[in-house]
This record gives sequence, C-alpha cells and structure tokens, in this order.
Amino acid sequence: MFPTSNESLKVMSHCVVGFPSLEENEHAIDGLVAAGIRLIELQVPFSDPVADGPVLVNACVKALARGGSFEATLALARKVSRRHPEVTFVLMSYLNPIYQYGIPAAIDEIANAGIEGIIVPDWPVEAMRPHLPHMEKRGVAPILMVTPNTASTRIAEIASASRGMLYVVSRMGVTGSSTHWGEEFQIYIARVKKHTNLPLAVGFGVRTREDLQALRGRVEVAAFCSQYIEWQAELGSERAAERMAQVVQSIHAA
Amino acid sequence: MISSEQGLFGEFGGRYVPEILRPALCQLEDIYQQLRSDENFWQEYLQLTQEFSGRPTPLTPLPRLSESLGGAKIWLKREDLNHSGAHKINNVLGQALLVKRMGKQRIIAETGAGQHGLATAIIAARMGLQATIYMGSEDVERQYSNVFWMRQLGAEVVPVSHGSCTLKDALDEALRDWAASVDDTHYVLGTACGPAPFPELVTYFQRVISQEIRAQAKHQIGALPNAVVACVGGGSNALGAFCDFLDEPSVRLLGVEAGGRSQQPGQHSIRLQGDLASPGIAQGYKTLFLQNRDGQLGETHSIAAGLDYVGVSPVLADLVARGRVDATSATDSEVTHAFQLLMRYEGIIPALESSHALAGGFALAKKMQPHEHVVINLSGRGDKDIFNIAQALPQQEWLDFLKREVTRTEQRLRESANNPNREEQYVSNV
Repeated sequence: MFPTSNESLKVMSHCVVGFPSLEENEHAIDGLVAAGIRLIELQVPFSDPVADGPVLVNACVKALARGGSFEATLALARKVSRRHPEVTFVLMSYLNPIYQYGIPAAIDEIANAGIEGIIVPDWPVEAMRPHLPHMEKRGVAPILMVTPNTASTRIAEIASASRGMLYVVSRMGVTGSSTHWGEEFQIYIARVKKHTNLPLAVGFGVRTREDLQALRGRVEVAAFCSQYIEWQAELGSERAAERMAQVVQSIHAA
Repeated sequence: MISSEQGLFGEFGGRYVPEILRPALCQLEDIYQQLRSDENFWQEYLQLTQEFSGRPTPLTPLPRLSESLGGAKIWLKREDLNHSGAHKINNVLGQALLVKRMGKQRIIAETGAGQHGLATAIIAARMGLQATIYMGSEDVERQYSNVFWMRQLGAEVVPVSHGSCTLKDALDEALRDWAASVDDTHYVLGTACGPAPFPELVTYFQRVISQEIRAQAKHQIGALPNAVVACVGGGSNALGAFCDFLDEPSVRLLGVEAGGRSQQPGQHSIRLQGDLASPGIAQGYKTLFLQNRDGQLGETHSIAAGLDYVGVSPVLADLVARGRVDATSATDSEVTHAFQLLMRYEGIIPALESSHALAGGFALAKKMQPHEHVVINLSGRGDKDIFNIAQALPQQEWLDFLKREVTRTEQRLRESANNPNREEQYVSNV
C-alpha cells in the first residue's frame, strides 16, 4: 500500500539486486524491515544507469558481476514480498531490461512477483502511455518523475499518468549528492502540489536526519537510498540497517 | 538530407532520457529547427569551416594503389586534412555556433579516440569557453597524445574508470554531468547517436563532406562515384559521407565496422550485420546495441578507440534496415594491413579508424571494374595512433627510443623539481 496524501513522512530505502550479493539482499531487506522501513525500491542493476551517481553506478557494476538481473529481481521480489506483506516493494529499473523482457510480459511478471509500482527514469511519459492501461489492470503503479526544470503543463501531464506516488527529483543532477531545502524548494513543491493530489516522494539528495526534518510535513515520502547503499558498502548490511533504524526513529522522535 | 519524424528513424531513435534532460533537448531541438531552415546560418557555418578548419578538403586520387589492387579507381576524401586532423571538427564548429546562440558558457563532451575531445577543446579555447571532456580510462591510455593536447588547450579531461572504461561509459558520464549543469552547459555530443535531436543535428553538420564529394567528383571524375565507403563507430563520418547520395541509387554506400579480433562477444564492435546486435533502448535512444538477453550493454573491442562503441547511429541502423546502406567489417589485422598499404603506396598516414574504411574500400574496389570509381572517406589522420601502431608492429628500435625518452623525461622532471622557478617563469610568459 502506498501512503495517502498528507500522511506523516515515510522513509523509502533501496536494494540493488546483486549488491553486495544476491544472498545478502534478502538479509539486508529483513534488516530494513526490522528498522521500520515500509517502502523499498528493488533496483535492477544496469550497465548504463545514466540518472545515477557514483555510489549506485559502482553498486550496479558489482551487482551485475554477481548475478544481478531483471530475472533475479523478480525472484527476490517473490520471496520478500511474501515474507513481508506489510512492505510496499517498488521496482526501479532502466528501460532496456524491461524492453528486452517484453514490456507486457514484464508488467505481468512484476505484478506476479508482488511488486506494487515501478520507477523507470528513462521511460518518458509519452513512450509509457500505451502501456498504462495494462499497468492499471495488473495493479502496477507507474511512479513517474518531475524535476525542478519540468514545465508546469508537463508536471500536470506526468502527474495524471502517475499512480501511487509522484517522484519529485529534488534538484538538478544525479542521485547521491546533497540538496538545499530552502525557499526555492518550497516554491517548487507548492508548484507540483497545484497539479496533483498524489503523495509526493522526494529523492536525489536525502542523506541526513536534517534532510528528513526539512521534508517532514511537506511531503509524504523521503527516498533515502544512495546514503544507505554507501553505508551498506562501507559497514555491511547489518550496521547499515542499524543506521536506518536511527533514521526512522529520528522522525518519530522529532 | 535526412530528417526525422519526432526524432525517429524507422523504429530507431527517439528521446529516452531522465526527465531532467528533457528541457535542454527541447531547447536544442527548437534552435536546431529554426536554424536548419535558415540558409544564412548554413553560410555562416561554411565560412567558419573554411576560415578555421581549411575546407573544402581535397578529393585525392590514389593512382599507384588503384593500379596495384587492379580494380576500380580509388579516391580519398581527405577529412584528415581538417584542423585537428579529423572530420569531428565539422560537427564541433556547428555546435559551437549553437552554443553562441544559446548563450551558454561551458561545454562538455565525450570522446573515444580523442579526436572529438580535441576538436571540442580547440573550439573552447577559440571561443573562451570552459570545457570538460569525459574519456574512458582505457581510451586515455590508448590515445594519450590527444589527452596531452586537450589539457594543453585548457580543457579538463576526466578519465571514466567504471564499466568497460571506454566510450559508452564516457557518454554516460557526460549525460550525468549535463543533468546537473543544463542551465549553463551545452553537451557537444560527438557522433550521430544519443537522444533526439543529436543524431539528426550531427548529421546535418557532417553532410558538408558529401556535398563536397559530390561537387568534386563531378569536377574531377566527371560523374558521381560508383561507391562511397566510410568506417562506422557511432556513424558521424559515414553519415556525413553518405548524406547527399541517399537519393542516388546508382551510388553504393558501404559502412565498415570494427571486426576486432573475432566475432566472439567482447572481441568486436559489429552492430549492423548479422544478429550480433539487437534493438535496445539505452543512453537516451533506441538503436542496435551489443547486449545480452537481460538488456545489459556488452563489452566491445577494436584496435581503433573511435570505433569501440556498443551502439550505432539510429539513422544508420534504419538505413541498413531499409537496404540503402550496406555494412561490412574489417578485422584488426586487415586494418593494419590497409594502413600499411596506404602509407607505402601513397604517402598518407591514416587513422586506425579510417583504416577500417580503407580495408573495406580496397576489398570492394578489387571486385569492381577499372572504369568505376570508389571514394573512401579518410575521416582522420594517423599521428595520434603512433603508439598503437608501434605496438601492433613491434620493433626493437621503437622500444629503445621509448627507453631513451623516459630517461630524458625523468632528467627534466628532476631538473624542474630542483629549479621550480623555471616552470613558473614559463607559465607567466604564457
């Protein structure tokens, strides 16, 4: 289940399938769930992830060498979605692995694996539109992205195609760097809200408790992904999950 | 002249990019469409290529080699005689005029062999722009002379050391940079690939090659050539050479890809022939990619860094699918042989990329009649490849020279460490 509008801030976290290894992915997800995370992106590793920064690029390279793939993502999703029915799993992929699988068949398998939504940064709304009815039928929510330089008319167009959440890219650039949450960001969020009632998920640059405090009360979801993968790479999945637990607690404590 | 329907060429092309890049591509598309129908702009472009790059480049007959091979008469379109030593400058000069109109202050580029990076660094110096060039770390090693020159010209060269460390990774990195800098930065994409409008825009600037071939052939041969041959990495020199002949069915158009060491995965860059490549969507566009069943782009190989690319222009992919352009390939050893033939018979040192076109063109010429004419596009000159060639044809003399050069360089570095003022003096003089 996706959050509803005006719900308190939820943290979404991340798993690059195959990183650090396929076996560890399952334990890492168990750890995230134990830490209180209820929204998890399963990233299909890709050879050319143009919207990702160095942390996720390097994780993708390693994941591919360790057996990560679209099929492996479905297999992992089937296991973890059954084990954690309280968690909403979202597939994050670039378009080519989905395209190679065959888009309608891929949507079917995504749905069968218990995944509730998809985020595909290089799948523009006009190219996705012919597939929207099939996604609707299979209950796979297309979560599209808007960015600070997206024109208002296009925000409306993207929002009308989106389901579940609208992904709000916080700043210009790729994943993994820091963001300022000043007045400009507030104006941007207000502009997006004019065009949709969908819950907003903010990503690209959510790295600290301060970032989460800045987002609390303004949006429904904070995508805390690159920083988590960085912790996972440096400290291992167990300690990374402990840190995520502190992150989740910091929202409730504030 | 090619032109696309919404950036599509048959089933290929399009604009599959993260949303953040869309406004910059739309802006570029608008400016390109305005200028494309503006004859004054084309004249301004031609004047710049003449005054800065030395156009028109000659059409050179190869009498000794033609006679030796015993088939058609062979001609070379001398893009190697451009300033910077390759056809890449044509596109960069054109995009520089676009940058001027957009009022941006920074340009970024990806480069494989370094020729596009070099051309970009040259135009940045000329126009007072800041330039950042992304280059696979493997290509940095293979084409270090170009890296050296780019840095001397004032450009920042960023080696990309993840993935396969070649051109495709440099392209990804340039797209990432652009995503963060679109407000003040233009991405000078170097070949007819990537999201719309780049394939069409780069072809538009490279078509000057075929315009000249056409006029020169009529003047020097008295007719259109029977065939035009070009190497195919991304496809920009091939499209430039083919463009004005697309509606001339009597002119055979042949693209030559990198056959590398073998047709095993990772050992070549053949995308247009057989079923080694398949349709895919990556790096912002749809084309034929070397990839696995999971849609992961594959490793490639070529003796020529500029052909070592996993995708191919969507314009060419469509032209081959429609049967208008033929494709063949040349192996590394065939390329080295063609390279030697041109040097020994005609006194011209070709780039390894262009030597693929030579290998394919020579093979084609041999099968043709003596009254027929083949034009091979010599896209670049071979100076940059001296280290690669020396490795492909190892000689003790070269090794001895390198050892002496290392000793001399170490000596100079020691001297400058002991006397740092000398360097500062030089820099302040500049």
